[in-house]
Amino acid sequence: MIDWTFDLLLAGGLLGLAWQIVASRILFRSVVLFIVFGLLMAVTWARLAAPDLALAEAAIGAGITGALLLSAYRALLPDRDDGGEGGSPPPAVPPWAAVGVAVLVGVLIAGIGWAVVGLEPPEQTAGRLALAKLEASGVENPVTAVLLNFRSIDTLSEVVVLFVAFLAARVVAQDLVHAGPGDWLRASRREPLLVQPLIAFIAPMTVLAAGYLLWAGASQPGGAFQAGAVLAALGVLLRLTGRLRPTEETSLPERLVLVGGLVLFSAIGLASAGVASAVLEYPPGWAYELILLIETALTLAIALPLVLLFSGSGGLRGEVR
Amino acid sequence: MALLDALSAGLLLLGGLFFLTGTVGLLRFPGVFDRLHALTKADNLGLGCVVAALILQAETGWVAAKLVLIWMLALIAATVSAHLIARFSLRARGGARRTPP
Amino acid sequence: MQMLYLGLAVFLLLNLLAGLWRVHRGPTAADRMLAALLFGTTTVAVLLLLAEAMGLPALRDVALLFVVLAAVIAVAFTRVPRRFEKGEE
Repeated sequence: MIDWTFDLLLAGGLLGLAWQIVASRILFRSVVLFIVFGLLMAVTWARLAAPDLALAEAAIGAGITGALLLSAYRALLPDRDDGGEGGSPPPAVPPWAAVGVAVLVGVLIAGIGWAVVGLEPPEQTAGRLALAKLEASGVENPVTAVLLNFRSIDTLSEVVVLFVAFLAARVVAQDLVHAGPGDWLRASRREPLLVQPLIAFIAPMTVLAAGYLLWAGASQPGGAFQAGAVLAALGVLLRLTGRLRPTEETSLPERLVLVGGLVLFSAIGLASAGVASAVLEYPPGWAYELILLIETALTLAIALPLVLLFSGSGGLRGEVR
Repeated sequence: MALLDALSAGLLLLGGLFFLTGTVGLLRFPGVFDRLHALTKADNLGLGCVVAALILQAETGWVAAKLVLIWMLALIAATVSAHLIARFSLRARGGARRTPP
Repeated sequence: MQMLYLGLAVFLLLNLLAGLWRVHRGPTAADRMLAALLFGTTTVAVLLLLAEAMGLPALRDVALLFVVLAAVIAVAFTRVPRRFEKGEE
């Protein structure tokens, strides 16, 4: 009974937040509520016993997207005095139309849900097949097995998508007007006192956490995406505090990292076509090592585009202080 | 074993009480600095109580160590966040000299 | 014990939802931000309780991630000293 209370509160909270995010007149309030929404989503994934998703949601939804929205907000309203209490223009759609559409969509979703709940579960689901074949996959975590072995074509496509997103962002990017020092750098007395100790402590911790998530992803929730997202959050922190400067040109190591994951994954997949029976199938006995290798490359290949998308630049370089 | 459970239960309730005072402080105190003060201290103490209760119930030493690590990191994050926000608000009010204590 | 974990989790969730009122009211940006940032602490407590109650030790890793990211959000919010906003990137 108590868990029903929890779940109902959670669901109600999510709905209320979603409504307020869209309907709020004050833009900054929407941004903050969106970050809180990310927090509650992670709790929702936890309640649904999906720790992998909760990890990814924590890193990307609450961390990176939150920082992105805050940066975007600052870029929108540079002249506000106290950090922004800007209003937004009144909505262009009349309320009755909005309510009408909302009711229609609600009825549609409820109808679909009712139909789905009434269906018989199929005898042989892909999930059960995957769980049955888990030992042959080389890893113990079913999520990693599906992502990196049974459906590795999907993961490959996802990495391609991320890479293409980065390229698209470069195409439409504006020139970096001030590729100069980070915001706090020049007058170092302006930087709050605790930032440097924070970075000194958090940076190694985060790298350690990313490594842990990557390594543990084989047997418990974790994996390349989560580790990559954590590293990207670290990159965002370094960029925000000026330790990393944006540059127009993508340097050679960065290019290698960006395409490295993709190339490695494809190369192993194609090579396996000769050694094993099909493309993207691992030779027996080598699955675990190959998966770990691919995941390492993927971690970097996920983290770097995310950080570059956040900083809106072609590359980054360290700032000597 | 029952003593351990009782102790954990007591710590959990205490943690809940601290969280409640934090929320009350957030909602009822006037001014950013008061709210910041209340929330940071009360919530982190509450978290400490909850962590302590869970440590008593932990299966292995590794789990207990991880819980301690989480609490310490939470303290650090809260410290830095509170410092940054306070500094931000201070500057918004025109600096330390023009802000009444 | 199980009931106590879940019961406390419900209580903390109620606290969180109540704190949203502060985000709604403001009046300053710092008010909204501080409420949101310190919801992180509540969420960490909820996740730890759920880890015990649901028997999912992986949720402790999620809690670990959350505390690390709370610092990132704080820095993101207070990043730019306003005086430097024009003319800096």
